[in-house]
Amino acid sequence: MTSTLMTGKLKRTIIAWLLLAPLIAVTIFPFAVMFLTAVKPRTEVLTPTWWPSEFRWSNFADMWVATGFGQALLNSLYVSALATVGAILISVPAAYAMSRFRFAGYGAFRQFLLISQMISPIVLVLGLFRLMAAWGLVESTTALGFIYMAFNVAFTVWMLQSYFDTIPRDLEEAAWMEGAGRWLTLRKVFLPLCLPAIAVTAIFTFINAWNEFVVALTMLRSQESYTLPIQVFSLVAGRYTIEWHHVMAATLLATLPVAILFTWLQRYLVRGLALGAVK
Amino acid sequence: MQSRTLPYLLTLPSLFLAAVVIFWPVWDLAQISTHDVNRFGQLRDFSGLANFWALAADPDFMAALWRTGLWTVLVVGGALLLSIPVAMILNTDFYGRGLARVIIMLPWAVSLTMTAVVWRWALNGESGMLNSALMKLGIISQNIQWLASAETAFPMQVLIGILVTVPFTTTIFLGGLSSIPDDLYEAAALEGATLFQQFREITFPLLRPFINIAIVLNTIYVFNSFPIIWVMTQGGPANSTDILVTHLYKLAFRIGKLGEASAVSLVMFAILLVFTMIYVRLAMREQRT
Repeated sequence: MTSTLMTGKLKRTIIAWLLLAPLIAVTIFPFAVMFLTAVKPRTEVLTPTWWPSEFRWSNFADMWVATGFGQALLNSLYVSALATVGAILISVPAAYAMSRFRFAGYGAFRQFLLISQMISPIVLVLGLFRLMAAWGLVESTTALGFIYMAFNVAFTVWMLQSYFDTIPRDLEEAAWMEGAGRWLTLRKVFLPLCLPAIAVTAIFTFINAWNEFVVALTMLRSQESYTLPIQVFSLVAGRYTIEWHHVMAATLLATLPVAILFTWLQRYLVRGLALGAVK
Repeated sequence: MQSRTLPYLLTLPSLFLAAVVIFWPVWDLAQISTHDVNRFGQLRDFSGLANFWALAADPDFMAALWRTGLWTVLVVGGALLLSIPVAMILNTDFYGRGLARVIIMLPWAVSLTMTAVVWRWALNGESGMLNSALMKLGIISQNIQWLASAETAFPMQVLIGILVTVPFTTTIFLGGLSSIPDDLYEAAALEGATLFQQFREITFPLLRPFINIAIVLNTIYVFNSFPIIWVMTQGGPANSTDILVTHLYKLAFRIGKLGEASAVSLVMFAILLVFTMIYVRLAMREQRT
C-alpha cells in the first residue's frame, strides 16, 4: 500500500516537473542573463558566449562608482520609506474606523478606495505633473514620496481592514469592561495584535514604491534625484554605448533584496487580498 | 456624540490625500482637454470636444487604441490559458512543489522596469543571449534583430507580458482550487469519469468566479502597463509598438500636445471606470452567493 503510494507520488513528480519545465526555463532565463552578464569581464560582454571565462565580482564595485548607484539607492530608500510610514500612519486610523464603526458613507468610502486602487498613475501623470509644477515641486523626492503615499493609501486601508476584521471584538470589549478607555484599549490590546499585519502591509507598500516607474520618470529630471528604476533606465535609454555588465549588476543589486522579501511574504499578500475580497 | 464624529475624523486624512492626488488631476485634465492650450500648458479658449475629435482623426491614436486592445486580449488570454494548467499542477502533491512554486512566482517579485531592461539586453541583435542560446540549440541559423521591427518586437513584448502576469493569475486560481473538496473528484472517479470530464464538470465550473475576477483585474493591470513597452522599444520603431499609455506619454512629454494628451487620459479613465464597475459587480455577486 505505502509502496504504491510512493511510486504514485514519484510518477506525479516526474510528470509535474516535465510539464512545468518550459515555463520554468523561460522564467529562469532572464535571471541567468542578468547574473551571467553582471559577472562577465568587460571584454566578453559583447561576445555571444554564455559562460564567462572568470567571475569578475569587482564589476559590482566598479558599477557602484561608475553609475552613481549609491545616490540612487539613497533616493529610493528615502522615497519608499516616506511613502510607507505616511501611508501606514494615515491608513491605520481609517482601517480601524471602517472595521469597528458603522457610519454613513462607509459603503461610498469603500467604493472610492476600490476605484482609486484601479486607477494607475499613468492615466493621471500629466495632471500630477502640472500639479507639482504649479507648486514648484518637480525634482522633489519628498513630493514623489507623497504621491506614492496617496496612491498606496487605498491598498493599505483595504489590506489593514481585512486583517482588523479578523480580530475578535471580545478582547477589546473585555478591556472596556475593566474600565480601560478606547485609546488605552487601542494601544494596549488592539494595536499589538495588529502589528504583524501592519508590518506586512508596510513592506508591500515599500516594495510598490521601490518599483514604481512612470511617475518617477516624469517628475525626476536630474540625476541627483533619480530613484533606482530611473537610474537603471537612464543607463540604457538613448545611449550609443551601453555598459551592459554595469546595467545588469545594477539591476541585480536593485532587485535581489526586494525579490527575496517579496517571495517570502507573498502568501500574506494573497491572504490579505482574499480576505478583503470575501468581505 | 464623540463616537459619532470619530469615524469621520479617522478616515478624513486618507480621503483627503487620495482626493488631492486623484480628483485634482482628473479635474485639471478635464479642463485642459476641453480648452485650447499651448505647449506650456496655458489655457486659452474653450474648445468643446475639439481635442477628442482631433484624436479620432489621428491615425497614430487609432493604431495605438487598436493595438492596446490586441495587447490586452493577448496578454490576459495567454496568461489565463497558461495559468489554469499551471495552478492545477501546483495544486497536486509532488516532490519539490514548494520550489516549483517559488520559481514560477519569481517574475512577480521583480519590478517590470528591471524585467524589461534585462529582456532588452537578452534580445539584443548582435550580442543578445537569446540569439546565442537559440543558435546553439540549432533553432535559428543567424541573428534575429528582435527589437528592430514590430513584427518581432511586439510578439516578444506580449510573451513577456504573459510571463509576468502568470504568477498573480496562478495565485488566484490556486486559491480557487484549494476551495474545491477532494471528495468531488473521488466520487467522480468512482463513477468512472475521465480526467477531462472531471475538469469540464467539476474544476472549470467551480473555478469560474475566480476566472472572471482574474480576467477583470488582469485587464485593468495590462491595459495600464507602461514599463515593458516603454523600456524595450519606447513604442518604436516608428510608433509601431505604441499602446495608449506610451502614446499618451509621448503626446504629453515629447510632442507637447497637452490637449490631446489630456483627452487620451480621460478616454482611458472612462474605460477603466467601466472595468472597475464590472469588477465591483462580480465581487458583489460573489458576496451574495
